[in-house]
Amino acid sequence: MNSHLILRTVSKFLIPLIVVYGLYVHFHGDFGPGGGFQAGVIVAAAVVLYALIFGIDACKVAVPPSWIRIGMTVGVMLFAGTGVVTWLLGGAFFDYDVLKYDPDHPAGQHLGIICVELGVLFTVATVMVAIFYAFGSRTPDISDEDW
Amino acid sequence: MLSFIYAAGGPATISPPTLIIDIALMAMLVVVAFAIVRMRSLFAIVMLQGVYSLMCAAWFVTLDAVDVAFTEAAVGAGISTVLMLSAMLLTDRQSAPVGAKKSLGPLLVCVLAGAAMFYAIPDMPAYGDANSPANTGPGMEYMTAAVTDVEIPNIVTAVLASYRGYDTMAETVVIFMAGLGVLLLLGLNGNAGFWQAKVQGQNIFSLTAPRTRILTSTEDKPETEPPAPDEAAPPKPKPKRKPAAAKKRAAKKPAAKKTAAKKPAAKKTGGKGSAS
Amino acid sequence: MAADNTHSAPANPVDIPWDAVLEWGLALASTGLIVSGAIFVLAGALGVLRMPDFFTRMHAAGMTDTLGAEFILLGLMLQAGFSQMTLKLLLVAFFLFLTSPTATHAIANAALKSGLKPQLGPYKAPELSEIEGKTPSEGAH
Repeated sequence: MNSHLILRTVSKFLIPLIVVYGLYVHFHGDFGPGGGFQAGVIVAAAVVLYALIFGIDACKVAVPPSWIRIGMTVGVMLFAGTGVVTWLLGGAFFDYDVLKYDPDHPAGQHLGIICVELGVLFTVATVMVAIFYAFGSRTPDISDEDW
Repeated sequence: MLSFIYAAGGPATISPPTLIIDIALMAMLVVVAFAIVRMRSLFAIVMLQGVYSLMCAAWFVTLDAVDVAFTEAAVGAGISTVLMLSAMLLTDRQSAPVGAKKSLGPLLVCVLAGAAMFYAIPDMPAYGDANSPANTGPGMEYMTAAVTDVEIPNIVTAVLASYRGYDTMAETVVIFMAGLGVLLLLGLNGNAGFWQAKVQGQNIFSLTAPRTRILTSTEDKPETEPPAPDEAAPPKPKPKRKPAAAKKRAAKKPAAKKTAAKKPAAKKTGGKGSAS
Repeated sequence: MAADNTHSAPANPVDIPWDAVLEWGLALASTGLIVSGAIFVLAGALGVLRMPDFFTRMHAAGMTDTLGAEFILLGLMLQAGFSQMTLKLLLVAFFLFLTSPTATHAIANAALKSGLKPQLGPYKAPELSEIEGKTPSEGAH
């Protein structure tokens, strides 16, 4: 691991930018291509890149498996919870218009879509990392010569 | 892309450059697919699958399906390549050769399915046909309604998250279930939900971690390990790194054993491969 | 001083259309950049096919996605003018400039670590007799 000086330097610089790009994809999903699913995968790719460069044990310190377990559930609950909130506010399930009333433009729709996509982001990102952890932890560390 | 969505309705003509790019991309897809089928090295196959996904994404871009292309590039070329690689490392580097007799059935199925596809091609609407079901059916109502209903420029997001919220929620639940299944089968640490460690020379394998786990791996270590008294002497980073190292050692032991057990089997298949 | 006077004078006989000059200059510069980028890509492709061993081929492939792609992106930036697109292209160029040499390095490093030795010494073109002994795909060039 110590020999990959260039890889470590570049990835240290790139990983935060990848996460920022994932968030951009998420919040810009209303206006351009992208959305929660793509953003979740990009965020998960940042975590996977960290694990590939610095080793999976260091990655488990940075992103603990407990976060992964919680994040999976939080995502689904955020998604379904948005529906339940609209329900409690008197609308139909996933009727985002009741979330926020604005006579000029459908602000409630925008709010609802962002919330729902945030749930997708959480679930997708954590599930991808969970699958990677599950497979990656069983794999023995491979030396460079082994390839 | 936005202009494409709002201007939908008129028949789009394919310009020759786009056609050339489409044909070139599809030709490369066919070549890569044949290479995947013919190859033995699993590592190369996984990499070629990533290449295939990336070229699919490029092709989707030329078809103006930017969201699909984005997903394909992120999932197909990015994450799934890594997942396939980590799954491959658990099995073998080479696929066992399959005899000609065994591949006769799959070949027949492939040929039949391909022939059915080619039979269906004349019934497909032309690219950009304004009268095709996709351009006249309920999809167009979303196109016109979303402009005033949701007022976001990306219709794909509007349909996905607002009009088809139920479907997307079920999709999210499907992803959650997939993650849950993997967690139940393998566990996040690759130990199928069991907790295992090697503490003071004895293997511990239990359903739950003992409450004193952190205590044993940080404070007890220097006292109970007389052979390495120097390790306690180095300054700051040492105590921090201790638990990680101990965990690593514990996690690595069974994995190492597994590979040792697997090696002869792998060699055997390799030998068979070279013999036939 | 005198030149300045004649330039700003309204009765200048030769009124240079600066807008058109700028437009043509930008078009020429961007075309030149895109064409040179394409030449680099072509050279890289040729190098991948023709170079004798892995590391030289890696060098050619690396040139394709650093120099070739960078030049093409610079040309596209000039085409786009001052807009949001230029900023995005600049970001793409920046990330490409970071990642593609790193990827090339990682691949070459992995090859070296796994025991592949680079071919050293002056390049000797294979003899005709050697070519005929090889498979047709290798000896065709």
